[in-house]
Amino acid sequence: MSKPEQRFYDELTTSSGKARAGCKTIHKWISRQDQASWNTYSAAAELAVREMGISYTLYSEGENIDRAWPFDVVPRLIRNHQWKKVSEGIKQRAKALNLFIDDVYNEQAILRDEVVPAPLVLDSPNFRHQCVGMSPKHRAWATIIGMDLIRDELGHIYVLEDNMRIPSGVAYMIENRELTKRILPEIFENHSVLPVDDYISALYETLSSLSPSKPKTRPNIVVLTPGIYNSAYFEHAFLAQGMGSELVEGSDLFVKDDEVFMRSVAGPVKVDVIYRRVDEDYIDPEAFNKETMLGISGLMRAWKKGKVAIANAPGSGVADDKAIYAYVPDIITYYLNEKPILKNVETYQCWKPQELEYVLKNISKLVVKPVNQSGGYGILIGPQSSPLEQKRFSALLRENPRDYIAQPTLALSTIPTISNGNPAPRHLDLRPFVLSGHKTWVTSGGLTRVALKEGSLVVNSSQGGGSKDTWIVE
Amino acid sequence: MLSRVAEKLYWLARYLERAENTARLISIYNHLIMDIPKGSEPSWMILIDILDAREQFEYRYNSETEQNIHRFLIERSEEQCSVPYSILQAYENVRTTRDTLPQEAWEYISELRLYVIQYSKQSLARSKRLAFLDEIVQRCQMLTGLFHSSLSRDEVYSFLRIGKLVERADMGIRITDVGAQDIMDREGALKSIDQLLWGALLEALSAKSAYRRMKGPVVDKEDVIELIFQAERFPRSLTYCLRELRVELMRLPNSEASLKKAHKILRILKSYDSRQEVYLHEYNTNLQKLLRELGVSFSKTWFQRDGL
Repeated sequence: MSKPEQRFYDELTTSSGKARAGCKTIHKWISRQDQASWNTYSAAAELAVREMGISYTLYSEGENIDRAWPFDVVPRLIRNHQWKKVSEGIKQRAKALNLFIDDVYNEQAILRDEVVPAPLVLDSPNFRHQCVGMSPKHRAWATIIGMDLIRDELGHIYVLEDNMRIPSGVAYMIENRELTKRILPEIFENHSVLPVDDYISALYETLSSLSPSKPKTRPNIVVLTPGIYNSAYFEHAFLAQGMGSELVEGSDLFVKDDEVFMRSVAGPVKVDVIYRRVDEDYIDPEAFNKETMLGISGLMRAWKKGKVAIANAPGSGVADDKAIYAYVPDIITYYLNEKPILKNVETYQCWKPQELEYVLKNISKLVVKPVNQSGGYGILIGPQSSPLEQKRFSALLRENPRDYIAQPTLALSTIPTISNGNPAPRHLDLRPFVLSGHKTWVTSGGLTRVALKEGSLVVNSSQGGGSKDTWIVE
Repeated sequence: MLSRVAEKLYWLARYLERAENTARLISIYNHLIMDIPKGSEPSWMILIDILDAREQFEYRYNSETEQNIHRFLIERSEEQCSVPYSILQAYENVRTTRDTLPQEAWEYISELRLYVIQYSKQSLARSKRLAFLDEIVQRCQMLTGLFHSSLSRDEVYSFLRIGKLVERADMGIRITDVGAQDIMDREGALKSIDQLLWGALLEALSAKSAYRRMKGPVVDKEDVIELIFQAERFPRSLTYCLRELRVELMRLPNSEASLKKAHKILRILKSYDSRQEVYLHEYNTNLQKLLRELGVSFSKTWFQRDGL
């Protein structure tokens, strides 16, 4: 095994080349393998991914292509006592963020108290006027949040993003475990690993708890998908199947007398909860984008009248704005009167003139991100960019400072990942999922995403990232 | 169940059954040709005629060679009557209904699709063809078995079952129509191979052992047609398919119109009498027409989504 570069924190090996606490067995196992066995494992993984049909869809030159899910066989370990603390931090954050969303659409106390600058919220395109005055059951706005966590060079954990619109990846988290069980059943012998497939029943219970009426039978929960051409269609189907729910497209639903129905072979059937995997711009032509073909006319009316629950609730994106991100620690203290358990990454808010000045001066060292995009698109990684790109971004920043934030380039932690038949350190992050409904619930671990290219910090699967099974171990 | 999903399930089952039946048909025909003395074997074009694809074939190829016909049926995934086309269609339908099916369904159909993509081009030679076709038949049956043994008997199952039965009945009529026509055309000319031809027809419908158990080893034309049309207990006979279809229809909402049509087909099947002079071709044409009408009735009742 090649030695990890010293300026990064390797999660498996210490700087002196020894196994970290709790990682001894897996470390030993890795060192016993040779190139032939890695090749065998990787081939078995590739075959299993294809057979299990684990795919994601990419658009390329007007065509959509099903890609096999890029899976790396070496699992990532996190010790349970450490994870417990992290998951408390995740829950704390989710609770505060939901209270924040509920507040800004109603009392707006946090804005009046000037904890968060009012214009930052009210002038944001993510603030949906259509949602003002609404308060969903359990104040669960962002029912499903996917938080991106990273470790710095000292191994400290930070929250990098709170994905609160339609975060994806959880199906891959579950399938990654299935793959490891198939390919490396022997390495489970010496570890006690927390299961991950309880997510689906937790999701089902959370969604059920949002049901507006108390039906005698189980509530009718549907998963709303944009259709097979969406990159996460695999996951939509996976979750619908797991919950025993219908996977619906906009044209399968209609609204009559402010109630939502699905078109079935037996006629219209009432819908109680919609797990929405369609961007809110496209859910209702009456309320949002009028051109949408995916939407259901009148859905927002039905929701505001409390006839149907939508998860995540429209308007949740107001808290998933990288300009708001900087205030999350204050938001936690404001609503919960607690100290934030998880740290934020230092963030320069370009709308503040002095911070913009700093960013422009130091652009070659920073990561610049648009506040309103996800999927790793439209970002500048200073140290890996050309002077021309830096110039282009500087111009963008000056033009629309509100649209950007900047963060120091993080020395993301690494873990051995198979590359050309041998393990080599690659950067990674972790996306746990947190559910908010009648109670708050966090996955055991989450989806580990790993950059497959040497030195790369981009872990998104749409841009050449891979993934690993994540083990929470005793 | 969603109307959109019901329609996809129906077509999924039809394409799966069609792939299996087409593969079996080609395979049996290959066996038959090898059994018959050179010079008197029937034309390969019968395969194309059974699948009602003469026009399309002639558009694509100039000569009716064995090679071209197999390329058309085994290799060309864009041709609607080819085996790969049916598999790819079945795959697309599973892809969009997988949340209603057992988890393994997606796995099996993905594997089957990969198998077809990978091997269809290398399976044109006589030496490879049969193994390829047998594999297709087996894998289709595996999926059918999976549905049979793990699905609740709810609407998902009913729509799959209906699709399968309609497709099976359709193939039964096609094979009887073209196959029997060809045999009768040459009747008397080569009495010695008649047995072989009728036997092959039975095998194409997977009916040979059922026939032996019911009628004995001597293959007789009237008995064959009677079995295919009227056998009450043989799962590939038309009567059996329509009866089963009726059972499924009764489980589904608003099925009155479709039930009426199924009754009518059953009545016509019952009236078939091989001892009387019947024009088999006309009789078949009528059956085919009624079966198509039944499909239209499904579509009107369950699949169209504008009506609600």
